[in-house]
Amino acid sequence: MEPTRSSDAGSGNSGTYTPEIAESIRFEEEIQSLMRENTMHPGLEPPPVGGGGSSFTALLGLPANQAVELLHEPESEESPAVAIASASGGEMWRFRLRDPKALTLPSGCSPTFPSNAALVERAARLSVFATEDSPEAASVPSHSGDRSTKPKAEPADSDSQPICPIPGERPQRPAKRKEADKGNKVKGPAKKTKSAEEGSAKGAEENTSGSGEKLPYVHVRARRGQATDSHSLAERARREKINARMKLLQELVPGCSKISGTALVLDEIINHVQSLQRQVEVLSMRLAAVNPRIDFSGLDSFLSAECGRVTVGDGRCGGGMEQSAWMEATAVNEGRRQQQQIWHVDSVHPHPTPSVWERVDSPHLFINPGTSLFGYDPSNSVASLHSNQLKTEL
Amino acid sequence: MSAFHFLRALSQINKTTPKSSLLLRSRRIRHAAYASMAYTAGRSRLWSRALLRRLQRRSRLRYFSSQRTRAVIAPRRLKAVRPRSGEPSRAEALRRLVPGGAGMDYCSLLDETAHYIQCLSSQVQLMQKVVGSISS
Repeated sequence: MEPTRSSDAGSGNSGTYTPEIAESIRFEEEIQSLMRENTMHPGLEPPPVGGGGSSFTALLGLPANQAVELLHEPESEESPAVAIASASGGEMWRFRLRDPKALTLPSGCSPTFPSNAALVERAARLSVFATEDSPEAASVPSHSGDRSTKPKAEPADSDSQPICPIPGERPQRPAKRKEADKGNKVKGPAKKTKSAEEGSAKGAEENTSGSGEKLPYVHVRARRGQATDSHSLAERARREKINARMKLLQELVPGCSKISGTALVLDEIINHVQSLQRQVEVLSMRLAAVNPRIDFSGLDSFLSAECGRVTVGDGRCGGGMEQSAWMEATAVNEGRRQQQQIWHVDSVHPHPTPSVWERVDSPHLFINPGTSLFGYDPSNSVASLHSNQLKTEL
Repeated sequence: MSAFHFLRALSQINKTTPKSSLLLRSRRIRHAAYASMAYTAGRSRLWSRALLRRLQRRSRLRYFSSQRTRAVIAPRRLKAVRPRSGEPSRAEALRRLVPGGAGMDYCSLLDETAHYIQCLSSQVQLMQKVVGSISS
């Protein structure tokens, strides 16, 4: 599929970088679609088409983006796609790395391509890092794992390319490349690369080697005018991580984004968590008072079918569907009181549930590649388990 | 998904608990809410594991409760969360709020808090919808 695409693009255009540019555009589109599928975080929307132009010109102003200009010249009709794609990549990168010199956007737009899989993997992993969400974190490696299995031949071909990079393209090789592992929070020894050639060669190798596995190292380069001590570098990396997560928390908590200062933001977060827990208490009291009218006879099978279907789509919409199903069930069951016996449980309520969890949880320790909010789908086994329980009780 | 578990637990509570004991019902419903929340979040989250552990411990003790065990449960040993270095002082309060927060470093604490807030708010929304549709 990839060669045909590049040949199609190549037939219509001229220029030495044409096939690679077409490939890069495809990569960006893939990245974009990947981001759109995986990122549900409110702070990171799919790149707006209207804003693509402004951020593209902002990108043009950056020193490390000569590749973008190179792309811009021969392919004028495809520049909007490039703009949008690079804008998306740029937005994504800028969201995380505040230092514009440290942008590693050229990895997406540069004519040299370490590998499709590596690119998608890195972009996906870094979008994961931005959103800080574990379902997506685990969803991304599996997602990109699918992609990496297909173009296995291509990394072998394109491996030769980055070893001899175009020297003009990488004068300022990206300073900060964080391939921090998202799944396990182990901080490997931080490796500091200070020379440019070392950095670029290592960067190429890391790109290709990191396509299939997660790198335990955090590669950080000392910035200009800052201490190059190993301790301070590690501390700076840690501080950046903490700041990124604080930003995410600020977006989650309503009314927190205008507050400046860490202590006040922390106070707000604590207040928010306390208020949520209090709301749970109040609502449980109300439910206890109101509850006696509910009837759930036909609901079980219906909802288990729904759960089997609803693996994609966020948890809110899944909850909405279940909610409508539940309301329909209550409307239907107003006249079918005799089916209450199905739900007759003869043991204390908390007791069966822990055993159920322990039995069901063990085979399902990983997260679904779907985009549900909680990323957990033991629906099939749970449904069968509970239907078994129901049968025994009947 | 969480709605499924929560509603089923709710129906179970409906059938088994007598209507007179409002306090007991509300406590059980709260237990079910947190349980379904943690169950849906899965085993890969620190807070969900800690929450499930806490709930199971409490439910098991209550299930097998006698006079002796009740006397054992009642005095809660409050392990003091020692103020750690390199993090703001308010982090202790956050650790107490988020389940399992005492054993985490600050970085993962923020991460877990974010996910916990997400799950909590969706659980609250779900319960609000349930109450709304019942009472209307």
